[in-house]
Amino acid sequence: MEEKDIGIYENVIEYISLELSNALNKIPDKYKANVEEIRLRSSFPLNIYCMNKDFFVTREGLLTKDKDKGMIVGKKDIMKTFQLISNYSVYAFEEEIKNGFITLKGGHRVGISGKVLYGTGGIENIKNISSLNIRIAREKIGVSNKLIKYIIDYPSSIHNTLIISPPQCGKTTILRDLIRNLSNGLSYLNNKGFKVGVIDERSEIAGMYNGVPQHDIGPRTDVLDGCNKRDGTMMLLRAMSPEIIAMDEIGSIDDVEAIHEILKAGVKIIATVHGSSVEDLISRRSLSILVNERIFKRYIFLDNSLGVGTVKKIIDGETFNPISLEKGVI
Amino acid sequence: MIALKLIGGSLIIFSSTMLGFYYGNRYSKRMENLILLENCIKILETEIVYGAYPLPEALFNVYRKGNKKVSYIFEKIRVHLLTDKEADVFNSFSTIAQEIKEKLNFKTEDIELLLSLGRTLGSSDRKDQEKNFKIILNQLQVLQKEAKKERDKNERMYKNLGILMGIAILIILL
Repeated sequence: MEEKDIGIYENVIEYISLELSNALNKIPDKYKANVEEIRLRSSFPLNIYCMNKDFFVTREGLLTKDKDKGMIVGKKDIMKTFQLISNYSVYAFEEEIKNGFITLKGGHRVGISGKVLYGTGGIENIKNISSLNIRIAREKIGVSNKLIKYIIDYPSSIHNTLIISPPQCGKTTILRDLIRNLSNGLSYLNNKGFKVGVIDERSEIAGMYNGVPQHDIGPRTDVLDGCNKRDGTMMLLRAMSPEIIAMDEIGSIDDVEAIHEILKAGVKIIATVHGSSVEDLISRRSLSILVNERIFKRYIFLDNSLGVGTVKKIIDGETFNPISLEKGVI
Repeated sequence: MIALKLIGGSLIIFSSTMLGFYYGNRYSKRMENLILLENCIKILETEIVYGAYPLPEALFNVYRKGNKKVSYIFEKIRVHLLTDKEADVFNSFSTIAQEIKEKLNFKTEDIELLLSLGRTLGSSDRKDQEKNFKIILNQLQVLQKEAKKERDKNERMYKNLGILMGIAILIILL
């Protein structure tokens, strides 16, 4: 497993300018397998996030907490890295740049910040790029295996489910694996597989690259990449006849409308949202509508108390009572 | 003895004629290659502005669709771009400058134009790329006109000069 993770890391640093990638290549294997983010900021030291801690990387590939020892990232490094990431083709990533990120082969995402230029139709371009944040995507196949039985609605359906967690606690990873499981078919339901429609607004779930999903999302899954949830819902319902629609990070009034559309069509929903408790949800106007209408039958709360993606509790959406969990659910 | 003289004489005329043709042909070759280059750049424009293919793929498509006499340079640029991690697009364009000067009979200004394409290629959004292509193609038209003029003027002259030189040398030797 570790070797695969090191391989992923080494593939990602191929996209970084030579000098920096040489340093990044020298860090110990133990860290290589666990790096979550590589951050490049113009004229500041090279920074990585690893196992919930952050380190600066020296020219020799040592990890340090001392910012003065870290290797300084130059403007040239950022430009070169940006060229490699965009495959020397800024024009091919116009839309992505407007959204502030580019998806790499393998589903890794690179966030971009710099001077934002507005045009008549909203953000037109980002110039003078000052920071790049490379988030290494590591799909964890099987993380939802034990979770899945709590969302099944016997005999042949699933409950509408909302996954709630603070950032960086594995929401999307769990959602992705749930999609994979549901699409593959479940032994609990005589191996019935569901047609799943995924609205992947931020290209995080499937990590589409040139029209090919970079993560395993199962054989019965259709992905609308980069589409907003409202348009995506209508498109999926009209033409793709899904049994389940999955979406990431709901929150706006438009999203609530989209969810109502989905329910009207008798399709089930799995979604994720930022937060840490039911009160959190109620305090947001759009989400409180959903909670009060008892739309979701299962709330799954995650945190990182026992590592990323720990299931804290699962709450029944009708009664708001916790469902007792078997030991060892993730 | 006469047979030897005849053979020698015809050899001289033949070689000087070939020399004249060689010099004359350079002009029509330049002209021809400039037209082929224009076609290639037009394909590249379509690939980028309408297809939005990433640069390496776009360059490969130009190589595939264009006339191989000229389009091979785009494949060379692509290979250099992908293998040399330090290089940018302009560097990759520069690597072929010397070669095309010799092989395609391009003049310095033709090469300059191609390099200026390398300077802007891929660095901005589609609208901007389209404008750049327009400028480059316009300049290429100007170069073609100039090449045509030069060809009309010089090609026949060099060819005639070759034959006449041969005859002149022959008369002097006789």
